Amino acid sequence: MTDVATTAVTGSQPDVAPRQRRHNVALWVSVGWLVLVIASAVLAPWLGFIDDPHKPLSGPPEEGPSWSNWFGTDQLGRDMFARSVWGGRLSLSIAGPAVGIGIVVGGLLGVVAGYFGRWVDLGVSSVVNVALALPALVFALFIVTMLGQSYINVTIAVTILTIPAIARIARAQALRFAAREFVTVADMMGARWPRLLFREVMPNVVPALASIAFLAMGIVIIAEGSLSFIGVSVGSPSITWGNILSSGKGRLEDAPHIALITGGVMFCTLMALNFVGDEMLRRLDVREARI
Amino acid sequence: MLRFFGTRLAQLALVVLAVTLLFYWMLNLLPGNPCVAAFGGAATEEQIAECERDRNLDDPVIVQWAKWGGDVLTGDFGKSYLTGRSFGEALNTALPRTLLLLAYSQVLALGAAIPLGLWTGYKQNSVGDKIASGGAFALLSVPVFVLGLVLILVFAVRLDWFDLSGYQPISEGLGAHFRVMFLPSVTLAAGLLPIYLRLLRTDVIGTLQEDFVGTARAKGLPVRHVLIRHVLRPSSFTLLTIFGIQAAQAVNGAIVVEFLFDLDGVGSLLVSWVAAREFLLVQTLVALIAAVFVTVTTMVDLLYSVLDPRIRRK
Repeated sequence: MTDVATTAVTGSQPDVAPRQRRHNVALWVSVGWLVLVIASAVLAPWLGFIDDPHKPLSGPPEEGPSWSNWFGTDQLGRDMFARSVWGGRLSLSIAGPAVGIGIVVGGLLGVVAGYFGRWVDLGVSSVVNVALALPALVFALFIVTMLGQSYINVTIAVTILTIPAIARIARAQALRFAAREFVTVADMMGARWPRLLFREVMPNVVPALASIAFLAMGIVIIAEGSLSFIGVSVGSPSITWGNILSSGKGRLEDAPHIALITGGVMFCTLMALNFVGDEMLRRLDVREARI
Repeated sequence: MLRFFGTRLAQLALVVLAVTLLFYWMLNLLPGNPCVAAFGGAATEEQIAECERDRNLDDPVIVQWAKWGGDVLTGDFGKSYLTGRSFGEALNTALPRTLLLLAYSQVLALGAAIPLGLWTGYKQNSVGDKIASGGAFALLSVPVFVLGLVLILVFAVRLDWFDLSGYQPISEGLGAHFRVMFLPSVTLAAGLLPIYLRLLRTDVIGTLQEDFVGTARAKGLPVRHVLIRHVLRPSSFTLLTIFGIQAAQAVNGAIVVEFLFDLDGVGSLLVSWVAAREFLLVQTLVALIAAVFVTVTTMVDLLYSVLDPRIRRK
């Protein structure tokens, strides 16, 4: 018995440190990549080395990566590096506000439902459960078709999708903390509900929501990407990652770099978002937080 | 028991009514006359009048919706005013394709996730487990359309193992059918696999700590037998639940995959109607899909409670 216990303790100790270090390296690589993508997306119009993404014949059409066109060129000879950056700019400018609003609205709904319980919880939970049972893309497709293919409408559609998922997680977190001793103590000391809700429960839910924001961002980028891939996002001539991929679909035989490089950029971004989100959840010890 | 089923079914009916009403009401928010839009702007007065009569546009929304519900229940799903093709006709060709695609992808995903999940849970923290778990994590970050494009490039364009010629029914021969359906099913399954795998692995690790597993091992039962008969069994509830949740989300993938592989299933139907601005058909289809999925989720819930009596007592 003692044998098992000692090997369990000593055996696991040296194992933890290198694992932690590996995670740290991967975390900083992810953060670095995200900073790079976000900075280039925000600063795209002012950075000299990023070409005009709409300018035809920046190089010979459908040529692979070269010194003058880092990511190659597309069917019309437009610079793929510039198009990837500008595509990211639009995708991120939809995902950012969508997740921001989703966190605030969904977070409030979830915390209120989890804290007050009873009929408030019943109302919020049933709407959330029904919303989660609907195929998200069908719903987004419907909204964008009804309202029209513009930046605002696509953002509205994907925002509506994030709210129920975030509300469910916020509710689970609020439930967990509402039962804790410090809340009961504050309650017994005569604190009223706004204080209990906003000063005691809410600050404990916020870290979880911050990490969820990264995961939600990834999901929104995929949702918007799917919409623009099937041609139902912001209309042309706007550039999104989804519509670059869609145009690369027909050119897989002759110019696979169009789809591969854009897909690769998207994959790295999503992987970085998921990794940072997962790692934050792990370090904050948040349970029941999968989207 | 009966009472439990009764309440759940009543809830289900209410939700289906609410969801279809929601989609019906949203169409009415659209500025302009949907009947004018239905003809693509080139209609005669009589045609528009006929369409307005069909859709009961003079009634309040709730009456329109009730009449629409009655039509749908009696099998009258409406038609395209642009092409004259009926909704039922279009759905007849599209539905089997989508259902087959969804079924194949679930079989592939579960077929890979169950053995992998048992094995990685049993060999927790081994090299193989780390590779599988890392792979699952990476796979979660690949959008369906990116994975599909890569698979097409490698297996259809470069290696030329599979066809991209559009759908082939089973009656054309199993070979032709699977040459067309294999890549789309794999693409869709790849999105489901990491979700199932991660869940199953966590579950298996938990179950392996249980006393009954120790007993089974102590009796001298082979590891494989213990894993399949004793460890997998309690995890089947978890798999069933996640299956219910994923069923709705699998349709998202199906829409993209059908578009990518030109399969002309329900998803493609939806996309093409959206592109043609056939709002009346889009509305009916979306309401039906929503109704089907709310029903599936509830059914899975009910099945869950049949299999696991502990749930009913809560």
